Amino acid sequence: MADAETDLLRSSLDLLILKALSWGPMHGYGISEWIEGATDSLLLLEEGTLYPALHRLERRGWISAEWGVSDNNRRAKFYKLSTAGRARFRVESSVWHTHAGAIAAALKRTSQAAT
Amino acid sequence: MSLAPGWRRLFRLPRFSRKAIEQDVDDELAFHLAMRQEKLRRLGHSSASAQANAIARFGDHARVREECLTIDQQYVREMRFMEWVESILSDVRYALRTLRRAPAFAAVVVITLALGVGATTAMFSLVDGILLRPLPFPEPQRLVRVTQAYPEKGLDRWGLSHQNVVLYRDQVSDYASFAAYWRRAMTLSGRASAERVSGVRVTGDFFDVLGVKPVLGHVFGRDEDRPGVENVAVIGYGFWQSHFGGDAHVIGTVIHLDDIPTRVVAVMPRGFAFPRSDIQVYTPLNLDPSRRFGWFTTGIARLKAGVSVAHASSQTTGVMWNWARVNADLLSLASIRPEATKMHAVVVPLREAMTSDVARPLAVLQAAVVVLLLIAIANIATLLSSRSAARRAELAVRTALGATRARVARQLVTEAVVLAIGGGVLGIALATLTVRVFTRANAASLPRIDEVGVDWRVLGFALVVTIGSGILFGLSPVLELARSRRLADDLTGTHKQSARGAARRFNNALIVAQLALSVILLVSAGLVLKSVRQLLHTNLGFEPVGVTTVAIPLPPAKYAGARAWTTAFEQLVHRAKAVPGVRDAAAASAVPYVGGINTDGYLIEGRTPPANAGSESRQVTQTATTTGFFGTLGIPLRYGRDFNATDRLGSLPVVIVDDAFASLYWKGADALGKRMRLTGDTTWMTIVGVVGSVRDEDVAAEPRPHCYLPYAQWPNNWASLIVRSGGDQRAASAAIAGAIREFESGIPLDDIRPLTNAVSAALDNRRMTERLLGGFAALAVLLASVGIYGVMALYVANRQREFGIRLAIGAEPRSLVRLVLSEGFALAVIGVALGLVGALGATRWLRTLLYEVSPTDPVVFATLAIGLLGVAVASCYAPARRAAKADPLVALRAE
Repeated sequence: MADAETDLLRSSLDLLILKALSWGPMHGYGISEWIEGATDSLLLLEEGTLYPALHRLERRGWISAEWGVSDNNRRAKFYKLSTAGRARFRVESSVWHTHAGAIAAALKRTSQAAT
Repeated sequence: MSLAPGWRRLFRLPRFSRKAIEQDVDDELAFHLAMRQEKLRRLGHSSASAQANAIARFGDHARVREECLTIDQQYVREMRFMEWVESILSDVRYALRTLRRAPAFAAVVVITLALGVGATTAMFSLVDGILLRPLPFPEPQRLVRVTQAYPEKGLDRWGLSHQNVVLYRDQVSDYASFAAYWRRAMTLSGRASAERVSGVRVTGDFFDVLGVKPVLGHVFGRDEDRPGVENVAVIGYGFWQSHFGGDAHVIGTVIHLDDIPTRVVAVMPRGFAFPRSDIQVYTPLNLDPSRRFGWFTTGIARLKAGVSVAHASSQTTGVMWNWARVNADLLSLASIRPEATKMHAVVVPLREAMTSDVARPLAVLQAAVVVLLLIAIANIATLLSSRSAARRAELAVRTALGATRARVARQLVTEAVVLAIGGGVLGIALATLTVRVFTRANAASLPRIDEVGVDWRVLGFALVVTIGSGILFGLSPVLELARSRRLADDLTGTHKQSARGAARRFNNALIVAQLALSVILLVSAGLVLKSVRQLLHTNLGFEPVGVTTVAIPLPPAKYAGARAWTTAFEQLVHRAKAVPGVRDAAAASAVPYVGGINTDGYLIEGRTPPANAGSESRQVTQTATTTGFFGTLGIPLRYGRDFNATDRLGSLPVVIVDDAFASLYWKGADALGKRMRLTGDTTWMTIVGVVGSVRDEDVAAEPRPHCYLPYAQWPNNWASLIVRSGGDQRAASAAIAGAIREFESGIPLDDIRPLTNAVSAALDNRRMTERLLGGFAALAVLLASVGIYGVMALYVANRQREFGIRLAIGAEPRSLVRLVLSEGFALAVIGVALGLVGALGATRWLRTLLYEVSPTDPVVFATLAIGLLGVAVASCYAPARRAAKADPLVALRAE
């Protein structure tokens, strides 16, 4: 995968994780399922990449982890959005919207003239 | 009791081992795979296909695992670090809070430390700067000063003649290079007003010996250092800045030194000045190998690498003996071999030579600050261990709540370190201030003082010592805690008598040590103080108060020949006498403590010098004076007459001698009419007067023999004008300066000053020692009394309950006061007694600093010992009063 694509993917993956957790605490598998459903399996080509992203976010203090019990009574590690993470999510999603809107508009332009 | 915020964390701090992290990641990833397989199976996959599919969808499992592990490990490291920082901060916050509750304790500890660190750092910086720091020349350890001595002739510090210089330079193979210098004040003329500059005349090898290159131009060498060549000068950096504004084109400029046009050939770098820090101009000595007379110069040499000072010294002495054999006539040695005399060359490492006068006082002061630092540390130990005893219950509670001993130890150490840092910072400020004040105040009187600054290495050392001691003493309560096995005892405050006894014995020992050290410092200071007191009241033989002096070099171009000089000085004295307020005036070739002193051997008609007299008596100090010299300085005329107008060139050569000289040969007025001559001269002079002796160079030394010659018969173009005035001396000196300028504008007037300045400058080193030692001793007493107060206060606090009960069952409050005071008194007596024994040993070391005071002066010993006992008992008084006021109810309620 090209570097540019990795970077883009990584930052969008972070944003999606934050979004997923904004509903409430989830374990890694749950998050991967949510992302899969929300993006038509487009973004998370390899599910494993989710975990380094989760651990990185935890290290930054945006999410916190705790062992708990899953719906089917298994021991699972649950992630939860921290206060800092919630704030981060708001900022990043609005930045994303602005950028994405601008880039989409630019890509849609048909004329070359700047006027 | 409240717990520190960081306290609770202790109980739930997770243990993140590498294994635990791996387990964590593996479990998490396994859960994901299991869930995925389950879902796939639910969607109809076979077990094997579900597993394969799940693994495929997951991607590179090993890489993911590795990445997660790396991130988690970093995370754990960061967390641990943050935890650590936070716990330190919380310890510090907690320490500050605890200390705020005991402000007196904290203040005393911090101030004690600051005084200890400050005094030690300042003193060591000074010693290092003056005594230990290498001279600012390349390979300074190879530089030596060379002079000669001929003890039988009273010549302990005999300079080198031109001939000596050439011989040593050319014949002593131990010297890589050899030079000589002769310090001379010069008159800089040809500018707005004549000015005295401090200069030195040096031989051509001088700059080579020191190994310093100029910043501009080229220094002169042997070719320029000969009689009869063009006059050149090398100037110092400061002179270049002040007189030429740092002009880069100064080389080649002609300046007038003593009316001689002199070309500036080089500028020395900033910071270069030798042999004194105020030297501005270096001119050639005009070395003349044929000059056998005039032993004025000081030799300076650079040893060849690997040559010892002792070897160079014996080699030089060998050359000196050869020279003495050839010049036996000069030294009246005809019948004696030089080897049979004590004649020798004096070769001393240059650094030692430059600092020998102050080495002993500085060493004493250095020892004094070390004692002071010890007292400070002992004091802090007392204070901290007293406090720890009081905190036993608190510490026990914390241990009971689950805090490990290490954790409690860290808290206590933090507290000690907080105190140590506070004291250290204050100490740095104190040291900086002291050094600055000191270097300003002693700018003139101490060698190399301009190079002194706070030494950061010393400061670092002092800080390490204090912080180290802080940690050590901070830990002592923990060690005690470790010893006390019975938690219940600690919690209730009922200790086994033995444990408390041990702590008290430790404190008592510290107090005794402090008092003993204080006695040593006090007695040393007392002895030096008494010496200085004696010196200040020494009869100098003349009265310096009200006398103003100024050196008068007559411009050589305008005043040539004896007649012109004599007339000029007669005129100057006459004009000075006419100034309002002036009582008397005279001119002389030398003034006590100002300089110009010249000594020579002598012969008395029909006599040989008394065999039993000291070597000093083989030399006589000579001063040429005009009429009125003795009256102006207040030197009493014992017999005969002063010089008068009839003593002229061509009339009967006359001389006046002083008591110190006359008493070597005659009684009373018998000296009058006898004849003597100086070895450097052939004229027989008749003694016409006997005057009182003077101490004119060293206040502490016995008066040396003097003879006074009539200026008119021994004229010179240089003399000092000496004026006694009544009333405002400053106004008088300004008026005198005006009168001189009116007479001759080419005379520099920069150094017109009261004679008392010169006399007191001669005592500067002793005064400095006295003041500093006195200050250290006062600090020591203060610290010791704080220490004894602290210990007695603790003693009373510990026995509060006992005292309360005693009072309740009818004890007299006064008897309790007595009890506490006698306890303190017993400690003080032991401390002072030990101190006196120590002082008897220590003060012997002071002998050279003392003047007419025995190192075991009973008055000093007794007074100070009794004084310190008094202070110690007084410090116990407040705790004693508290004992008498013990309230039994309070004591019992505290349980």
